[in-house]
Amino acid sequence: MNAPAPQRLVIGIDLGTTNSVAAITGRQGPIVLRDADGEALVPSVVCFAEGEVRVGRAARALALRHPEQTVHSVKRLIGRAGAELDEEVARLPYRVVRGERDLPRIAVGGRLWSPEEVSALVLREVKRVAEAALGQPVEAAVVTVPAYFDDAQRQATKDAVALAGLQCLRIVNEPTAASLAFGIDGSKDGTVLVYDLGGGTFDVSILRIDDGVFRVLATHGDTHLGGDDVDAAVGAELAAALRARGVDPHTEDPFVRQALRRAAENVKIELSEREAATLQLDLGERGTHELHFTRAQLEALAAPLVERTLQGVRAALRDAELEPGAVDHVLLVGGSTRMPLVRKALGELMGKAPRADVDPDLAVALGAALQADVLAGGNRDLLLLDVIPLSLGIETLGGAMSKLILRNSTVPASKTEEFSTQVDGQTSVDINIYQGERELVRDCRKLGSFKLSGIPPMPAGLPRIAVTFLVDADGLLTVRAVEQRTGKEAAIKVVPSFGLTRDEVRRMMHESIEHAHEDMAARERIELRNKALAMVRGTERALEQADLPPDQTWSVRKATRQLAQALADDVPTEQLARAIDHLSHLTAQIADDVISAAVQRALTEGAGS
Amino acid sequence: MDPFAVLGVPVDLDLDPALLEARYLAASRACHPDHHAGADPDARIALLDRAAAVNNAYRVLRDRWRRAEAIVELRAPGALERHKQLPPDFLAEALDLAEEVAAARGGPDTAALRARVQAMVDADWNALRDAVAAGDFAAAATTLHKSRYHRKALQDLFA
Repeated sequence: MNAPAPQRLVIGIDLGTTNSVAAITGRQGPIVLRDADGEALVPSVVCFAEGEVRVGRAARALALRHPEQTVHSVKRLIGRAGAELDEEVARLPYRVVRGERDLPRIAVGGRLWSPEEVSALVLREVKRVAEAALGQPVEAAVVTVPAYFDDAQRQATKDAVALAGLQCLRIVNEPTAASLAFGIDGSKDGTVLVYDLGGGTFDVSILRIDDGVFRVLATHGDTHLGGDDVDAAVGAELAAALRARGVDPHTEDPFVRQALRRAAENVKIELSEREAATLQLDLGERGTHELHFTRAQLEALAAPLVERTLQGVRAALRDAELEPGAVDHVLLVGGSTRMPLVRKALGELMGKAPRADVDPDLAVALGAALQADVLAGGNRDLLLLDVIPLSLGIETLGGAMSKLILRNSTVPASKTEEFSTQVDGQTSVDINIYQGERELVRDCRKLGSFKLSGIPPMPAGLPRIAVTFLVDADGLLTVRAVEQRTGKEAAIKVVPSFGLTRDEVRRMMHESIEHAHEDMAARERIELRNKALAMVRGTERALEQADLPPDQTWSVRKATRQLAQALADDVPTEQLARAIDHLSHLTAQIADDVISAAVQRALTEGAGS
Repeated sequence: MDPFAVLGVPVDLDLDPALLEARYLAASRACHPDHHAGADPDARIALLDRAAAVNNAYRVLRDRWRRAEAIVELRAPGALERHKQLPPDFLAEALDLAEEVAAARGGPDTAALRARVQAMVDADWNALRDAVAAGDFAAAATTLHKSRYHRKALQDLFA
């Protein structure tokens, strides 16, 4: 009999646009992990100002002072590229440039950062909070993504997890995770619609919960629709109100943009509780302005965005072949569902009041922790059957999209397609992979391309290469190919259109190890400086007390002054180490001299007595 | 891959949905990658393939028309491909129907047309069932191809 493998510590992480949360499943069920102050929400913000990298609340606190050095909402950039980012980038107070392969790079802190790297910094902070709460190191996690994230966005998230030094055991869709937290106790079996409106993304998923089996029937969404958009609209309205008063708000100033964003967010939150709000808009040197905002104003701005989410709800119902009345529970997830307008509009569409049994900010992390428990081997009763949100296909003649795996297919899913050659002796075939619902590939997202090579030279059309497209439980695509006649595995190298190549991930992992060296070097330096300081003080005191010949006193004093100077000049570590060595060499000699003199004295005195 | 064998259900046109569901969930539990996170990489790839096959089989079998296609393909391999050719007069009728549907779509009253197309689809299903029962898979294949036009028309009316 094999002893059961010891259970690993696996946490669930909700990596949000605005906040991130970690949770773990214990004997009593899932709990969120909080920091020393009892805070569960780690702001997904990184600040690179003042010569230090700060993450979480410390970074958020500095966002107003250093808008250009504070990176937030990086989830809206991850796994995307080129023109599709322009509108996004225009709104951000920090600078985003187009790097290699048109990928976004954040120019901050004196270098260019990929969204994956910034996301990894947030994840490291979440990991740190979790480890502090658990008192143990955490090595593996289940991380959630919006259900509507495509392959590129999922892969980029997975890369960020790896860069943060965590093993990513599973990518789980946020609404699905929330449904786990909601339905795990078994009392809510039936059909559930999860409406998840976060800071930057919207998802709707329809699930059937039945005796521990959570089966997603359909999912729909928009990865660029969320509370941020409401904030932006409110911010624009506030700026317009200032202009109406004859005040130029200078919205090109990053400081103003950040202040407007923050004020808009606060107004939105306040108006979830009351009908009207008054705010003091502090624009620093541009003065403070008092503005009024009503819920009616807010709702007029938010209405088009809410209507877009309702279109998604209708589409998901259609795909699940359900009427609104057939849904037993409507579940709200995500901070933006606190807006009364959302609750009202969704309630009207569904014919029943939405419920928020689980805290909308924490439900996703709690669900991720439940799934983490399954993967750690703790829970065998729960079975999660999720779907792929968007169809996967390949480009065929004339730029048509040939769909191989249809949206809302349960994952894992696979499809094997046969390819051949068009020219005699052709030894390779290029295949382009796309994701989307449109009929022409130019209207879909190109995920990447790959080359089937190593095909044995044969007349055109004779090779039969079976290419298997497999979407795993993370919703990620892998491709395998075998030449049927020879049974030879064809080599495949996928070049992703978005995100990081495998080589880049490896390099960044390597760099993070190098950074670990840098961190170590920094610590070494601090220790060396402390040592030098102690030596300077100690030697000076010893000199006063010791009875040394003048030439020795002079050379020790000189070496001590040199070390003190080296400290004051903040010389490189090695130079400091040499100065320390020099002084300790001299003082060691002195110690020897002092001791031998004492011994000599004692001997002489002893002999003399 | 034979979807009936994958899920261990009888090759039956009128497959009991409850049985299919139960077998699907049991098979999913047995091979879902989540429940084998500790297995070695080769075993996990095999499980992943198996889980994908289980999901694919379920997709085919829960739709009665796709289930019928699977039966025809299983009993008479290649029959569907061999009997793709449909008589010209049928195609002419199908074209007329498609035009009628396109014209009526979104109009005030499609109920009568809907009932008529539904009757065609029902007739197809009965003919298909008889052909399968009689072991006439050539006829079954032809009926499947024909019914596609009727099902498409019905779908368009609901869209």
